[in-house]
Amino acid sequence: MDITVQDSKRWMGARLERKEDLRLVTGQGKYLADIVLPGMLHAVFVRSEYAHARITGIDVAAARALPGVVDVITGDEIRTRVKSMRQPVVLPNLPAKYPDYHALAVDKVKFHGDPVAVVIARDKYVAEDAAELVVVDYEELPVVVDAEQALAPGAPRVHDEEADNEMFAMTFTGGATADEQMRNEAEVQRIFDTAEVVVSNRFRVHRTGITPMEPRGVLCDWSLADGLTAWITTQRPHIDRLALIDILEIPGERVRVIAPRDQGGGFGVKAPFYRENVVIAYAARKLGKPVRWIETRYESLMNVGQERDQINDVEIAATKDGRLLALRNRGIANNGTGQTGVYWGFVMPFLGQVEMPNVYTWEKGDIKLRVATTNKACLTPSRAFGHFPTRFAIERSIDIVARRCGLEPADLRRRNMVPKLPYTTITGEYFDSGDFLKVWDSLLRQIDLPAFRREQVAARAHGRYLGIGFACGAELSGVASELLVPMENQPGYGAATVRVDPRGKVLIFGGDAPGGQGHETTVAQVVASIFGIDPSDTLVTTGDTGATPFGAGTIGARAGSYFVSAVHKACAELKEKITHVLAHDLGVRATTEEFAFTNGDVIYLRDPSRRKTFREIVERIIMFPVNLPEGEVGGLEATAFFEAAKPMICFNADFCIVEVRPETGEFTIKRWATSEDVGNVINQNIVDGQMHGAIVQGLSNAIFEEFIYTDEGQQLTADFEHYKLATAADVPDIELSYASTPCPHTPLGTRGIGEGRPSSVPGALCNAICDALSPFGIEVTELPLRPSTLWAQIRDAQARQH
Amino acid sequence: MQTVRITVNGTQYEEAVPPRMLLVDFLRERLALTGTHVGCTYEGVCGACTVHLDGEAVKSCMLLAVQADGHAVTTVEGLSSNGDLSVLQQSFREHHGLQCGFCTPGILMNMTDFLARHPEPSDDDIRHGLIGNLCRCTGYVHIVKAVREAAKTLAGGAG
Repeated sequence: MDITVQDSKRWMGARLERKEDLRLVTGQGKYLADIVLPGMLHAVFVRSEYAHARITGIDVAAARALPGVVDVITGDEIRTRVKSMRQPVVLPNLPAKYPDYHALAVDKVKFHGDPVAVVIARDKYVAEDAAELVVVDYEELPVVVDAEQALAPGAPRVHDEEADNEMFAMTFTGGATADEQMRNEAEVQRIFDTAEVVVSNRFRVHRTGITPMEPRGVLCDWSLADGLTAWITTQRPHIDRLALIDILEIPGERVRVIAPRDQGGGFGVKAPFYRENVVIAYAARKLGKPVRWIETRYESLMNVGQERDQINDVEIAATKDGRLLALRNRGIANNGTGQTGVYWGFVMPFLGQVEMPNVYTWEKGDIKLRVATTNKACLTPSRAFGHFPTRFAIERSIDIVARRCGLEPADLRRRNMVPKLPYTTITGEYFDSGDFLKVWDSLLRQIDLPAFRREQVAARAHGRYLGIGFACGAELSGVASELLVPMENQPGYGAATVRVDPRGKVLIFGGDAPGGQGHETTVAQVVASIFGIDPSDTLVTTGDTGATPFGAGTIGARAGSYFVSAVHKACAELKEKITHVLAHDLGVRATTEEFAFTNGDVIYLRDPSRRKTFREIVERIIMFPVNLPEGEVGGLEATAFFEAAKPMICFNADFCIVEVRPETGEFTIKRWATSEDVGNVINQNIVDGQMHGAIVQGLSNAIFEEFIYTDEGQQLTADFEHYKLATAADVPDIELSYASTPCPHTPLGTRGIGEGRPSSVPGALCNAICDALSPFGIEVTELPLRPSTLWAQIRDAQARQH
Repeated sequence: MQTVRITVNGTQYEEAVPPRMLLVDFLRERLALTGTHVGCTYEGVCGACTVHLDGEAVKSCMLLAVQADGHAVTTVEGLSSNGDLSVLQQSFREHHGLQCGFCTPGILMNMTDFLARHPEPSDDDIRHGLIGNLCRCTGYVHIVKAVREAAKTLAGGAG
């Protein structure tokens, strides 16, 4: 009889109502802007109106003279009082030309929105007024906003100290040395020379990203005795703490960072270390008062949430019967200024190229990336970290190859999909486990493809253009130290402290800082399963560096893989101690496995009449630690760190059906269906919600959202009127299905999910559009997908056909 | 400064406010009713600040506090009574109609008004009813479901 396993099944996978939601549906969430300290001052930033200009003077007299204004701080002051932003703690171990910069602009502004000064006032409205009174004199400089122009000889240099605007360049294939890489290039060229089918396209993806509904914010308090307490909207409070320690040169025991328990989404945007953190911390220390900055939406859209922005020149060599042979890519990323701690913009395009080959068995590849510095805001991470443009390019290219070969794109994908895992791709990406073909076949069972093709032909006879598009992709399920140390100079392990309470409750402390993913519920279900208690008997605390073990943060789908596994490990340790003491008390020799934790009881399985309640035994160990087994001490608390030996993945496949109206270029998504490998599920509602949200984010990015810069670097899309997010009326319902394989590298078979999920969306959507428009021979190679662009392409095609 | 009398969630407040103070700031800062959120630059697009003014859903970032003088405002804090969640609030919990929860108060206020006007909405009605509220987490799928199921429960309760 295995009571424990039966009990686990009760909570694992359940659609449990989230513990977070009672407070969130009643308006009792505590987000950063809801935290108020006595005497708190308000900060408003003055930001550059130019994309590239020399600062020739800043007149703060009128602003200072306004009643209620406490201080105005400029870059000249910051430069002399705190270290620059380029400190080792936020520098990746990748060879790039990292620009040095200060928390406020010094000498030059380098993008529209660059912070120039900060006004601190007793009242928020007065601070806004005073910011208007700060007069900055600028001498305009030549601007470069296009990546290729930025890389051309003689381009205006964004950073005066650098010889050119190439911040990073890398070859991802062929080996570590230049000789090996050149040999590889020649071998790839030979494949292309003799290939039956060669497809070459330039793919452009615009600047877009994931904009959380809650903008950023920082609240800093300073006391002589305790130093700095900083509340920051952040996904990685422990890293922010280290950065504040190093940049402000405050001894570590005097810095505590708290990510509020409730955060209004992160999606990567709250993962970097930002300049505003330093400015507000400096102001609080200088003034000896709490200072708070709440980012406006305008500032947010000027500064963060901008990703993608990439050109990929993709070439594929294949046989005419649809076997993929070689992949060549030359990527160019538009990085903006490169001035953002931890990622410096280029880490996203770096990972995007690593993931470029996707799940296909290429014989050889030749993949290179150049990253250009420009006078735009620095790229910041956005869900589908780095691979939104490359996944779009590869999944579109696959369809174009299929059309050239006269094959069904779904068949060509299946034929070239990695058949068995583990597998290492041509760029060195490791796929640990799963079954791609199982997921793919499950997807195809959701649609009668031959019947659809017949319907498509019949519809065309009536002037209706239907299309189906497929795409698939592997995503990182958490990121192992093996990748996170070089990429972000940070550890990848998950961290959790589990503290059993004498009243039979369990408190869990995690180093992550979630923003809506439901950690409190997911972890409660895991802990309840292990200890045989109710999920309501747990409390999860995250985000406070003063209370939680060191962790890398809520990034890259880590909760279901790393965090949960660390919790499991700590619980297992405590379970062993509990059963050790209980066996001793019962006078039996028994292993942990001979006890069942179920329904609030701990039962000796060889004689189920011998049992104690969970509360009795834990209270005995914590509060009455006498007559213990030899060598045992009281107390029930454990901290565990979980590290997987290799990166882990999850996998998804999508199809969608569209109808395009050729007379306008408008289209309707009639169906969106998926198949997913998410490993073992802890909370089905939460997993479903992650997929829904990710897919709609992908649609919103592909169809609606676009950060637009003029040639002068003026950003025109800094409000939600112009930076359009998808509304409920713009997007379809989503049909999810699952064909999961438990992950062998996590104790519960779970995978981290959801982070990379948007990246399959633009490929599937555009493949469907092109399938619908195949009579016109239209191949979409650029995003965003605008009806007006499609309409023009259709008109051109019609003109050619006549 | 101007003195206003505003009834919020059934309690009347008499406060001196600057004429330019936004209603959302009055609610959040004067009354510490922080369930009403600000997600855009006071442009009325995101909908996180939605409250009821005399029973009708309005965006509190688009109104001055002085414009609410003499009126009754309901915020998300006023949706539940005696600790009992409204049918819509409970439906959002049950169907996972929220993730980060930042947009949720505004959506609850808008959809409470919507369901009063459209007791038997189609999914398409719900989706169009939601265009004044942006959500970044859910893809709207579970929000639509939560509203649909709440409508059914309310209809059942009335029948």
